Amino acid sequence: MTRAEIEAKILEFFRKEFEIDNPGMDDDLREAHGFDSIDAIELLLEIENILDSELTHEEKKRAMDIRTINQVLDYIVSLAEARQAGNRADQASAVKSR
Amino acid sequence: MGRRVVITACSAITPIGRSREEILHNLNHGVSGVKVLREDDVLTRYIHSKVFGTVDYTIAYDFKRQHRKTMGPVAYYACQVAKEVLEAAGLDEAFITSGRLGVAFGSTHGSPTVQRGIYKTFFSGSRNGFSSIGAVDYLKSMVHTTAVNITKMFGITGRVISSCTACTTSSQSIGYGYEMVKYGMQDAMICGGADEYDTTTVAVFDNLLACSTAFNETPHLTPRPFDEKRDGLVVGEGAGAVLLEEYERARKRGATILAEVIGFSCNNNGGDLILPNIKGIAETMRLALQDARIPADAVDFISAHATGTRMGDVIEAQAIHAVYGNRPSVVGLKSYMGHTMGSCGAIETIIATYLMTEGYIVPTLNLEEVDERCAMIRHVQAIRDYPMRIAAIQNFAFGGVNTSLIIKKWQGH
Repeated sequence: MTRAEIEAKILEFFRKEFEIDNPGMDDDLREAHGFDSIDAIELLLEIENILDSELTHEEKKRAMDIRTINQVLDYIVSLAEARQAGNRADQASAVKSR
Repeated sequence: MGRRVVITACSAITPIGRSREEILHNLNHGVSGVKVLREDDVLTRYIHSKVFGTVDYTIAYDFKRQHRKTMGPVAYYACQVAKEVLEAAGLDEAFITSGRLGVAFGSTHGSPTVQRGIYKTFFSGSRNGFSSIGAVDYLKSMVHTTAVNITKMFGITGRVISSCTACTTSSQSIGYGYEMVKYGMQDAMICGGADEYDTTTVAVFDNLLACSTAFNETPHLTPRPFDEKRDGLVVGEGAGAVLLEEYERARKRGATILAEVIGFSCNNNGGDLILPNIKGIAETMRLALQDARIPADAVDFISAHATGTRMGDVIEAQAIHAVYGNRPSVVGLKSYMGHTMGSCGAIETIIATYLMTEGYIVPTLNLEEVDERCAMIRHVQAIRDYPMRIAAIQNFAFGGVNTSLIIKKWQGH
């Protein structure tokens, strides 16, 4: 999934679930749009859906510093990359053990 | 002696309407709010009772997303009546957020609609079952969801009481709110209760053979409190809120006073959690009279709990007779709308206030032939002028909880 695809999904989620239309990519979501802790937890669930993978506690804690849409996208991209890297490592060890 | 406590605003969502005018119109014309139970594809196929006290009109809500996101249907009801009460009272923002205004509000069990969604997720067997439970589901469905959604919406920082004692939920709200103000802990309290459309409660009473089943084709003919042909209660939905204020404060700010709360009692039967108990409910009536410092013959009107069950109505009639004799007129308001559970005490208090102000009394609907075991008290079978000074509103709940509220007509400063 490209960053642009993730962005489209996140902006659609913000529009539908949070009624936040076209936020500036570097807007402080709390200050500018009243995004709160309840929204943050809902967003994490949506990120799990996008990644089709559960987040670990450590990963969720990292999200607590996120303030902007750009930071949300950075976060998701890094999680997606970590999962791809993990998958490659799994495949490599599967090949080795054959 | 404590401070005087007055009701300065009220609002209701009932199966017989919203506004004072609409509710009085339906009471005056004997219009019932009991309708056919809607299919829910879960429980209705197992339930023998096919009637429900239904709110079947649209309510135009105007809540911001920040507030909506933690609200299930029951909180929509609660916040709407709370909003209308605050608007009607005209309290200023500074007071609302001062910590001197509190909230006493509850429901039978939060939002059953939201809880049902949670259970569906649990039992769906989906791999993502756990993570697909929304983070706000708890806030929407928890038992104090009504009270805290109200505090959140209006920035209220005072005390929070959230009774969840089924049929005595909102009578406790008003009673405990009254005590908060009377004893100086708060200067005003928003008090009430709400319950949303829910078939779980119907199923519970149905299993206990306590629901009406003989009038499924003619819902408006049930419940029939004190009537020979009564065959059980009818569950309903609704909400009611009153604003209680310390009298001097209300007077100084020129508030319209609707009635004065002069007494409250709450006790428990101390035993069986289901069966009505004449000793327990008679005692709660006596305790309320003591709290109000009035003799039994000062009470003109009794809003009976009167759910329309075979046994409950007989025990209540006997208890009323034991405490009050046959002087006060007794009406079972649930005959018009069914048993609105967590909201019934507030709705019945509001209607008692309306009737007291109007100076007339409405009959217990469907009371055609009084059961001789209930005949020792003064029933009302036709609308008539009835000036009254003092009314008692009594409610009894599963768990053996009993309450009696005593209110007095406001006759000027």
